Amino acid sequence: MAGQDEKKSSDGPRKLDRRDVLKGLSTVPALGLFGYAWQTQRKYQQAKAEEAAAPPEAPKDLQVVNVALLGAGAQGQVLQDSMLRIPGLRFRAVCDIWEEYNQKRVVNTFRKFKHEVNAYEDYREMLDKEKELDAVVIATPDFWHAEHAISCLKAGKHVYCEKEMSNTLEGARSMVLAQRETGKLLQIGHQRRSNPRYLHCYNKLITEAKLLGRIVTVNGQWNRAVSPDLGAPDRYAIPQARLTQFGFKDMHQFRNWRWYKGKGGGPIVDLGSHQIDIYSWFLGANPSHVMASGGNLYHDPATHEWYDTVMVVYDYDTPLGATKAYYQTQTTNGSQGYFENFMGDQGTLLMSESEMNYPGTLYRDPNAPAWDEWVQKGYVTAPKEQETKPKSEGAIADVRESVSPDQHTLPVTLRDPYHQPHLQNFFDAVRGKAKLNCPAEEAYMTAVAVLKVNEAVEARAPLSFKPEDFKV
Amino acid sequence: MDPRSPSRHTDVDGGLAIARDLVGIRRFSHEAMATVYEIYTVHPDEQYAAQAAQAAFDLVDRLERELSRFQPNSDITRINQLAAGAHTRVTPSTLECLVIARHMFELTGGAFDVSIGTGLASLEIDPDELVVRASTTRVRVDLGGIGKGYAVDLAAELLEDWGLERSLVHGGFSSVLALDPPAGGEGWPLTLSDPRDPSRVLARLSVRQTALGASGVRKKDHIVDPRSGDPARGRLASWVAVARPPAAPDGGARTAPATVADALTTAFMMLSVEEIRELCARTPGVEAWILPDDNERAVLHIVGSDTA
Repeated sequence: MAGQDEKKSSDGPRKLDRRDVLKGLSTVPALGLFGYAWQTQRKYQQAKAEEAAAPPEAPKDLQVVNVALLGAGAQGQVLQDSMLRIPGLRFRAVCDIWEEYNQKRVVNTFRKFKHEVNAYEDYREMLDKEKELDAVVIATPDFWHAEHAISCLKAGKHVYCEKEMSNTLEGARSMVLAQRETGKLLQIGHQRRSNPRYLHCYNKLITEAKLLGRIVTVNGQWNRAVSPDLGAPDRYAIPQARLTQFGFKDMHQFRNWRWYKGKGGGPIVDLGSHQIDIYSWFLGANPSHVMASGGNLYHDPATHEWYDTVMVVYDYDTPLGATKAYYQTQTTNGSQGYFENFMGDQGTLLMSESEMNYPGTLYRDPNAPAWDEWVQKGYVTAPKEQETKPKSEGAIADVRESVSPDQHTLPVTLRDPYHQPHLQNFFDAVRGKAKLNCPAEEAYMTAVAVLKVNEAVEARAPLSFKPEDFKV
Repeated sequence: MDPRSPSRHTDVDGGLAIARDLVGIRRFSHEAMATVYEIYTVHPDEQYAAQAAQAAFDLVDRLERELSRFQPNSDITRINQLAAGAHTRVTPSTLECLVIARHMFELTGGAFDVSIGTGLASLEIDPDELVVRASTTRVRVDLGGIGKGYAVDLAAELLEDWGLERSLVHGGFSSVLALDPPAGGEGWPLTLSDPRDPSRVLARLSVRQTALGASGVRKKDHIVDPRSGDPARGRLASWVAVARPPAAPDGGARTAPATVADALTTAFMMLSVEEIRELCARTPGVEAWILPDDNERAVLHIVGSDTA
């Protein structure tokens, strides 16, 4: 070993083995053992609490909402993280069929933060026993959404249900009907609808200031790199009888249901639905036609029944005129990630939920009216400085490399996790203090537009929508 | 997590590397936190191992979203935006990371400071309510010196959950956690080398159930001493090994050796040799290698008193 050691070591590699140090650990817990740090923190906090005033909670009159989480997988955990940040919620129950893993993890997290939740495998038992629930948040596989949402609504609960609303139009339609019949709230998880950046674009830039003029084309994408199919730790496999009971052929299908016909809808539904929802929202119309090409170009068709690659063009008859909107999703190369790009005759808006990658950029067409008013009002940032005036008098231009068009940026940032504003909107509505940003009827229209893409791929021909297709 | 910061280059390769080509070992790589994470593991089923590695990488990506100060809606960005008296809720992972960071601040007498001298003490952390409150507006947190190790610790726990006990995880080689070695081996072979001259191997180690962290400076890089605000001088690199304690039987308390190693290695770029020696002596399971920035560049190996 080079250099000088404070202790002599043998010629071979030094062995570091935890057995060497076990003795010391019990007496000096200074190794960053989390438990120790935690304990220290608690003492610190107790002292703080004694000397300080009330905890930093929301207003005292905030009505507590009793909540259950139905579906504790990856998406359920994303929603859990967001909901733990929303004041005034009391979590009562968690339901998931993967007791051995996800259910346990989510329950432990809730309990760690003082929510005494009960755990269930079957949602019917949960609805029978948890009488105090006000709301259920559903993040189960798409093919369960209709049954879960309808049962919860009929049990008198308000429901937040992840998109896609359902894997079938009949399922989605029955959810709308159940919502109407029960009068309970049903919010669908198209979370961009509550994102302040998207709301700003829709309300201020497109509707009020009309900065883009007439939007004639739209394009967007969600590209992802190849990744292995989802697996599960062997020791936590769900017994086959339970898998069968809840509609899964095997553990692989349970983990990868999004790829299977009759369970999910493939990437166009998982990913495309979020952005196609924005197309229709911003254009103020539903599509009139769709043509699409797609296929399973890369993955094993035995385990990937849906298309890994889809390219689709929608026709829209918007209040301002005809629009073509392109969308693609592919699962073999993540280049440029996900974004939406709205192109009008007066400007362009390029944005994404991922603000880090796409901060929200607006380009003004050189012939469009000046945006000074909107800069002054704070609707867009001042343009990036473009020096175009000639330096010497008498010349009309300084000839040089081309100057880019005026480039502005969205002045609005989302500081909370992506799903939090949409969940907050739902709980505000439960308290009677807000209107839902994505109620069932609205999400149904998106389901109609999106589920048709898989049909169009199969038909290899343009398909048309009738206005009544979008109504229940 | 901190690659774009001109002032703190704790993430540069401190000269820690896998010593030789390993036969029969599966390797999986993933870009995250502005570096490459890798998992070396032994398992007969390639697909199963790949799925486990992917699950671990998904976890690292999630942590990056929560802990990065470059992400506009991360917990850390929200903390850094807090006005005096304001508070924000954070995820359990962020909270854990901050609690450990505060603990390391105390352990190192402020030499490891995720607020880089802007006042870590002015952040009040309420673990029950998942709330962080700022008592001043000026505090700025950067978990670049600890987040990578934290992600490595959690990824390792996940791999064990999947039954991949014979694994090694690292984030950009500056934060390494060796679990059990491949069958028949005594440990995972690692080298420590001179960051100014990577061909100069300073130490060869064989490690198991141990985390190793590395900090180093290349030319023109520097690390700011949070206690003075001045660039730390006199060190080219430091490495810290932290023994991984066995998991608590109730599964409740988390062990975080890579997180600790990550923090200590930053602190050891600044602490005096005497301070490092004293810290190692009262903290069993920790040992350090220090490479001074002088003509001799002779590595100094400091072993805690309880480490045989």
